[in-house]
Amino acid sequence: MSAQQINPDDALYVDMFIAKNSQTMTFIRSSYSAILGLAAGTLGLTNLSGFIFYFLGSAFLSVLIFVLKTKASPALYFRQPLDVFTEGVLGGLFSYILFWTLLYGIIHVYD
Amino acid sequence: MGAWTVLQERQAMLLDPAIRDWVLIPIMIVMVLVGVVRHQVTVLLNGTPKKADLKSARETKALQRGAILRAYGTHLPEHAFQARKVYLSEAFEKGTYLKDPNAGSKPKQNVMQDPAYVETMMDGMKKNMMNIIPQTVIMGWINFFFSGFVLIKLPFPLTIRFKSMLQRGIETNDMDVTWVSSLSWYFLNLFGLQSVFTLILGSGHAADAMRDMQAMSTMGMGAAAGPQMGPTGQPQDMQKIFLGEKENLELTEHEWGLDNVETRLLVKYGKKPRSVLVDYKKSKALAAAASSASHASSQAAAITASAAAGGSGRKKGKRQA
Repeated sequence: MSAQQINPDDALYVDMFIAKNSQTMTFIRSSYSAILGLAAGTLGLTNLSGFIFYFLGSAFLSVLIFVLKTKASPALYFRQPLDVFTEGVLGGLFSYILFWTLLYGIIHVYD
Repeated sequence: MGAWTVLQERQAMLLDPAIRDWVLIPIMIVMVLVGVVRHQVTVLLNGTPKKADLKSARETKALQRGAILRAYGTHLPEHAFQARKVYLSEAFEKGTYLKDPNAGSKPKQNVMQDPAYVETMMDGMKKNMMNIIPQTVIMGWINFFFSGFVLIKLPFPLTIRFKSMLQRGIETNDMDVTWVSSLSWYFLNLFGLQSVFTLILGSGHAADAMRDMQAMSTMGMGAAAGPQMGPTGQPQDMQKIFLGEKENLELTEHEWGLDNVETRLLVKYGKKPRSVLVDYKKSKALAAAASSASHASSQAAAITASAAAGGSGRKKGKRQA
């Protein structure tokens, strides 16, 4: 057979909707990670605790999306059902760090 | 106790609030505004997308048609699939859909004299410049006005290796790496503001720092990636691409989507064990091997019987979140 084996299940998904869904995910994740950063900075978390806070927070968000948005059946909305838990987590880390640093600096460094 | 005093010592540096008001916050605001302006300018520069002329549209669509047939061929019955396969292979081979069927015989002219090519290249250059200039200007601005003092403390530790990069212009040997200068604040903004732009401008915005990095690395190559430009910037030989697609098509074997469907349904709802499917596959493979000799003749018969069989595979829509 040819090298490009195509998954027949792909035909079940409409590209436009998939793109829209992952756009929605990106939107939720980016606003959430910014807000999470503001929270972490206000709390004055430092070092490892800040990163743990982020990953716990995004795990919580993933569960919320899984339960509320996809009604516990993510395969209806995404090609890879596990995308609900992973997509955009590392991308949001940068904005989390930015807002964490900003609020930490304003509140705890400049008195 | 020792750790606590070290922590206290680290904290014991007071920064002038004026630095916060006149450096920290302004840099952030300026970067957000520049990102927004850049997005608008890019939208302006792009204008309405250029319409492709009929022949070149037909050329790309023909290729797409081949790919679609390969991907969704299971939705077609065998005879319809074979008819399309033969038709497309023939068209690809003869170059029916080529924009310029005689291009192969002509000697290659210099690409720089082709006005369409030059135009796409200029377009790419313009976009690249739009990406690079604002970042360079902001970086120069920050370096010129705001270097030589500590701006902020990062809430997480970094290794000593970052010191020369993050504390450029401060030259204090014993200071902790977490105290950083304005250039590091710039970089934090550069990457961290992506999500802010996504919120303000919607996704697919043009204020993307990752693309800047790409633009910087491919600068000077005239990275105008038009639809028919290869990675080297040369226009590609469509004849060759068509022949490749034809080969791909010929390698594709048809598998009828409704084949064995009743068994699969029963397996899906647990009425039959999964092993039934595996057995079926094995027996089918054996049968295919046995009949491969007589396959060619039957195939030809099927094609003549069904020149224009309808019923293309339709996609079932999944819901939207």
